[in-house]
Amino acid sequence: MITRERVEAVLNKVRPFMQADGGDIELVDLEGNSAGVRLTGMCAGCPSAHMTLYLGVENALREEIPEFETLRLL
Amino acid sequence: MTTPAPLSMDSIVVGRSARMRAVFEFLRVIGNSDSTVLVTGESGTGKEVTATLIHQSSRRKHHPFVAVSCALFSETLIESELFGHERGAFTGAIKDRPGRFELAEGGTIFLDDIDDVPLSMQVKLLRVLQNRTIERLGGTRTVPVNVRVVAGSKRDLKQMVAEGKFREDLYYRLNVLPVALPPLRERREDIPVLMDHFLERYFRRRGEDVPAISDAVKQAFMRYAWPGNVRELENACERIAQTNTCGTVHVGCMSASILFRAGARPLDVSTPAASVPQEAAPISLDDRLRDVEANLIRWALKVSNGNKSRAAELLQIKRSTLGDRINRCGLGALHVPAGDSGEVMAAPPP
Repeated sequence: MITRERVEAVLNKVRPFMQADGGDIELVDLEGNSAGVRLTGMCAGCPSAHMTLYLGVENALREEIPEFETLRLL
Repeated sequence: MTTPAPLSMDSIVVGRSARMRAVFEFLRVIGNSDSTVLVTGESGTGKEVTATLIHQSSRRKHHPFVAVSCALFSETLIESELFGHERGAFTGAIKDRPGRFELAEGGTIFLDDIDDVPLSMQVKLLRVLQNRTIERLGGTRTVPVNVRVVAGSKRDLKQMVAEGKFREDLYYRLNVLPVALPPLRERREDIPVLMDHFLERYFRRRGEDVPAISDAVKQAFMRYAWPGNVRELENACERIAQTNTCGTVHVGCMSASILFRAGARPLDVSTPAASVPQEAAPISLDDRLRDVEANLIRWALKVSNGNKSRAAELLQIKRSTLGDRINRCGLGALHVPAGDSGEVMAAPPP
């Protein structure tokens, strides 16, 4: 089972950069082994940011939490 | 065969690092020589750019520059690629075909990935370098070639010689004028210059001016290790130029894998752990480990503006453990100056 803490720990690795840039990535919900996140601030409305972060964050989550399944961008 | 883009000593991005300046000074010195050059450097450090530059600043610049990667071909194909073949030399050889050496006549041949040339082929290459003649596959005619050889290697050939993987005689033939290109992580001071250069190039290609770049992006570029060197940095800049939508370059334009790895590398300067002693003098492992620990704790406290709970989170340890470790490392009286973000990444105060 994945926990909020474990997902947050992974997100915390990119957070300092995003926060320094006036944005953030917010963990909205957990459902089984998948998580829903939302971009806020600067890059929230940018389709490129959604793509780059979606791929990278999902990869990082799968790397660090083997049972992690899918990431949903909300 | 490639047609090199016009390059000159003045147009190329040198950067401010002493190591790259030394490389370029050396290239100036050897510009008019005809001797063989061995360019060594990790993938993406600019071996082909260097070879092109050597050609363009030599007397041979009006003759061909032929670049060939020795890693691209199988053992049997390399010979035919480099030296050519006569009609009927092997199945499928339906006409005479000159090799790369002949195509480079009067100019320069760049033999990249020389470290991937199989031992059996090394003998043949040695003969060419010694005699300056080639024989096409299946041919009997000996053809003289007037070609300057620049070889590129991502591995240390001397080491390969020691391991019996590279012929010593060929190594000495190639290593007349050695040029060593440093990896990007060893010349971080050049990162901003290279970044500006490539962003300028790729935004110009889109017909746009380079937009403002956020500090977070600059910091991430500075902190990432760039295992793919300048090529990887160029690729990251191209991506930014192609995906930017809002007129300012933010971290959202960057590859998240770069952000993750840059975030995992907290210290810019080499830590005591990185400095391995050269001599057999005794060191105290415990003292060394404490130095590393103290450095990382200092970093965590700095980027979390002195907030110990946040610092503990960054270090993935308990808040109470952090307190113990701070005392043990003698950081109890550590003063964390507000607003001093220095070399490390810091989130802006709320």
